[in-house]
Amino acid sequence: MSPAVLAQHVTKWYGPRRAVNDVSFAVEHGEIVGLLGPNGSGKSTIFRMLTGYLVPTSGSIEVDGHDVVADSLAVRRAISYVPEDAPLYDHMRVGEFLHFMASVKGLRGAAARASVDAAAERLDLTRAMTLLTGKLSRGFRQRVSIAQALLGDPKVLVLDEPTSGLDPHQVIAIRDLVQSLAGSRTVLIASHILPEIEKIASRVMILLDGTLLTADALKDKTEAVTLRLSAGAPQDAIRRIVLQIAGVRGVAIDSDGNARIAHYLIRAEPRPSLAADILAALVGAEVAVSELTECRPDLERVFLDLTRRSSGVAA
Amino acid sequence: MRGFAVLLLKEERALFSSPIAYAVMTVFLLIMGYSFTLTLFISHQPSMVHVFFQMFVLFMLTTPLITMRLLAEERKLRTLEVLLTSPVSEAAIVLAKFAASMSLIAVLLLLSGSYAVVLAYFGDPDFGPIYSGYLGLLLFGSALVGTGLLSSALTANQVIAALISLSVFLMLWIIDNFGWLLPSPADTLVVNLSLAVHFRPFAVGSVYLSDVGFFLSVTLLTLLLTVRALARR
Repeated sequence: MSPAVLAQHVTKWYGPRRAVNDVSFAVEHGEIVGLLGPNGSGKSTIFRMLTGYLVPTSGSIEVDGHDVVADSLAVRRAISYVPEDAPLYDHMRVGEFLHFMASVKGLRGAAARASVDAAAERLDLTRAMTLLTGKLSRGFRQRVSIAQALLGDPKVLVLDEPTSGLDPHQVIAIRDLVQSLAGSRTVLIASHILPEIEKIASRVMILLDGTLLTADALKDKTEAVTLRLSAGAPQDAIRRIVLQIAGVRGVAIDSDGNARIAHYLIRAEPRPSLAADILAALVGAEVAVSELTECRPDLERVFLDLTRRSSGVAA
Repeated sequence: MRGFAVLLLKEERALFSSPIAYAVMTVFLLIMGYSFTLTLFISHQPSMVHVFFQMFVLFMLTTPLITMRLLAEERKLRTLEVLLTSPVSEAAIVLAKFAASMSLIAVLLLLSGSYAVVLAYFGDPDFGPIYSGYLGLLLFGSALVGTGLLSSALTANQVIAALISLSVFLMLWIIDNFGWLLPSPADTLVVNLSLAVHFRPFAVGSVYLSDVGFFLSVTLLTLLLTVRALARR
């Protein structure tokens, strides 16, 4: 089975400016993948090429097994797109716009009505159906734009900055909505807001100046875990005890420790009883443990490291 | 063609809910009513030849107002992004916009049909030139709408789109005056690009296949170029 999205060596030039540089990635069916990058890094250009709005200068993109250039209509049937800033027909009412988009997507009669009603209910738009889209607040416009993308049950959903301009309640609602789609649909979501992507996506790709720095910034999350230990005993003894535990790769002293209680960072392969085994070994050796916690992988650090490294290379 | 009917309905609603359509109709009827009455009282002839020539000029001035927003506005508001990532072909989008604009041209022609009714009621006009005149105006209108649509596809600025199409219309209107000054065979070539040269026979009651072919070719070519402009992004 072909991946939901497969991009191979995609490059896009806008005149003399290269917006996307030799980007390759694959997204499997049911994945929620985040595309993270600063403004102007090429996220929207990649999404516009995925959805068939822009043609790549070179390289190829397949969506659900169809080439975006050679078989554009088949791609557009499989994919739904929420552009940044939610462009809508301002002279239409919300219900009219959703029915128009349902018709454009090939839905007719009862199927169109059912799809519109379901999308409106999901996005809490049922009481706004008679309002003019041109008079809506930014948050409402964003919800209408997402509602139109859900019409016709698309296999792939592409969301470009879907929470920009929303209040915290709306951000949480959109996040819950996207997470509820996991497994049933493939979702690609672009953002420049780190915590948002971290909460929604199962995989994060990082883009800088049109170049894909990593196709999985959180890979370390599954390959290794870091635990922070605070304990009061000779450092060599603690290091020896911890290194004997199965799966532990290394122990480092965290610099901010004081003389009585030292702090350590333990790098290990992830397994359910790891923390319990470490604790049992230390307590068994009569070491006074004051803290043992798992450090969550920090996307911000990964992002900053990657972008800094890239800038360094460029310099 | 997938989605054409839906898109046409949307375009018709957008066109007839905008003030531009009614402004164009009002200006058109005011000027044509004045012109028709004046010509009739001066010439006392049950003919519409003068009316057709005035409609020819008025169409060139008003069509850019009808077509300027068609794609330029969609591009500016970025709704083109929504439309072009939906499962509808570029050809369906272009044809729907073309057909909607032609419906306004048809409404203008229908309204002006009242002049023929007046002539038939009070006199005994020769209906041959009237039919051919209307056929000529319809074909001429389609060539103008096609050109206006292409201009609108080239920019996100409605005013620039209107200026491009107006410039092209005016240039092709008077090009025969300069064409005659050129050496042969360039003179024939340039003169045959003139809108007036191809419209004149229709207005006086002669229908030549070459004139019909010219307006249909311009329409087809501009529509194809518009589809291509949308497809090659």
